[in-house]
Amino acid sequence: MARADRAFTLVLALALASGAILVALLATLLPRVGHLLTNGATDVADLVAALLLLLATCGIVLGAGSLLRQLAGTAKLIRALLARTVPMPARVRSAAHGLGLDGRIAVVDDERPFSFCYWFLRPRICLSTALVRHLDHDELRAVLLHERCHLRQRDPLRLVVARSCAAGLYVVPVVEELVGFYTLQKEIAADEEAVQSAGGVRALARALYKLLPEADEVSLGLLVPVSSLSITEARIERLVVGGEASLRLSPLSLALSAGALLGASVLVAVGVGTRMTFESLPPLLAVLLLLVGPASLLSAAAVEGGLHQVRLVYGVVRR
Amino acid sequence: MIGPMARADLRRVTSAGSFLGPLETEVMVRLWKRRSATVRDIVDDLGRSRELAYTTVMTIMVRLQAKGLLLRERDGKTYIYRPAYSRAEHRARVSRDLARGLVDEFGDVALAAFSAELDGVDARHRAALRRLARREDRGPR
Repeated sequence: MARADRAFTLVLALALASGAILVALLATLLPRVGHLLTNGATDVADLVAALLLLLATCGIVLGAGSLLRQLAGTAKLIRALLARTVPMPARVRSAAHGLGLDGRIAVVDDERPFSFCYWFLRPRICLSTALVRHLDHDELRAVLLHERCHLRQRDPLRLVVARSCAAGLYVVPVVEELVGFYTLQKEIAADEEAVQSAGGVRALARALYKLLPEADEVSLGLLVPVSSLSITEARIERLVVGGEASLRLSPLSLALSAGALLGASVLVAVGVGTRMTFESLPPLLAVLLLLVGPASLLSAAAVEGGLHQVRLVYGVVRR
Repeated sequence: MIGPMARADLRRVTSAGSFLGPLETEVMVRLWKRRSATVRDIVDDLGRSRELAYTTVMTIMVRLQAKGLLLRERDGKTYIYRPAYSRAEHRARVSRDLARGLVDEFGDVALAAFSAELDGVDARHRAALRRLARREDRGPR
């Protein structure tokens, strides 16, 4: 299995495992919603339940919000660009010959040189006229080979799923870091396929070099949190020297995620203070160890992960 | 944080012509070199290597001024033009525009892109890529 596939599978597996624990916790809490709405919080267990319901609501809002934002933003972008579709230039037709991309390429009139793969179930490739103008036949073919890999893997769909999972599971911040790793791996995988299919690295390197923003040593502040390299820098390192980009997760993120899942598991086990086992323990010990402690772990992760998601929404940090 | 004003500004920069046409580039290069010039100065400069009508150069310079890349002030009956930004500033603006363009305009889009958003690349990686791009292919890598 390719590293990009493994990275995506890891995101999904962690998302499913974490999601199962959190859904079990939510299921434990739901029967108490009526009681909380009618009587308010009457003891510590109620307070914890109310806090957890609030955190769960935030997760649902963040996950659904991320999904809707991505769908709306993508639809808006595609609609705006496709309104400027031009007939397929002969150079593009020639570069795409034999790649199995018939009917899957749109060329749009735009001064910015860009290419990307879009849509979810039946993806397509969009090229700008500026990109077509800037690149020669081999470079254009290398770009199309790169995009074909995204198209075959349905990477736009995977990206939407992965980002929405990360937003919804904000109390498990390590999911967001894994999404960043997947984002890098899918670009590297597409580069690799383009290099292998083109029979060499030069055309792809030339295309990438031609399209780099002309800002020597200007920091653009768009670094993606994959080690200390931006995604483009990591792609260049891979093209130049090979080697695998290792998965490096932040210790804080790992600790918060593990704490949140442990806390959620404990809270499920004691039914957020309603199970018999809980009631048979000394009250102080039970409240501190089995209610307040686990809820604090969840809350700490929620604050860290929630702030990160809010920063993503407002563009303070980038994926 | 990139707020609404910054986004509007980026769109303005985009419409200001991130990618200049060949003649626009030649005019800008000469103005960056001279710091300020009249249309006649530029016609004479360019006239050494090619034949260009005064009105053609004037049209280009008026267009560049409209795009916000040139400033002009009247000196008697003629206009003196000067670049609104240094060459480095212009390149940095173009870079920011290209790098952020699509995503900043449309928000959280789900694209798998070769170049929709090429992010920050330092000089070392840029040089390495340039060497690779110029190297003859010898196998897959």
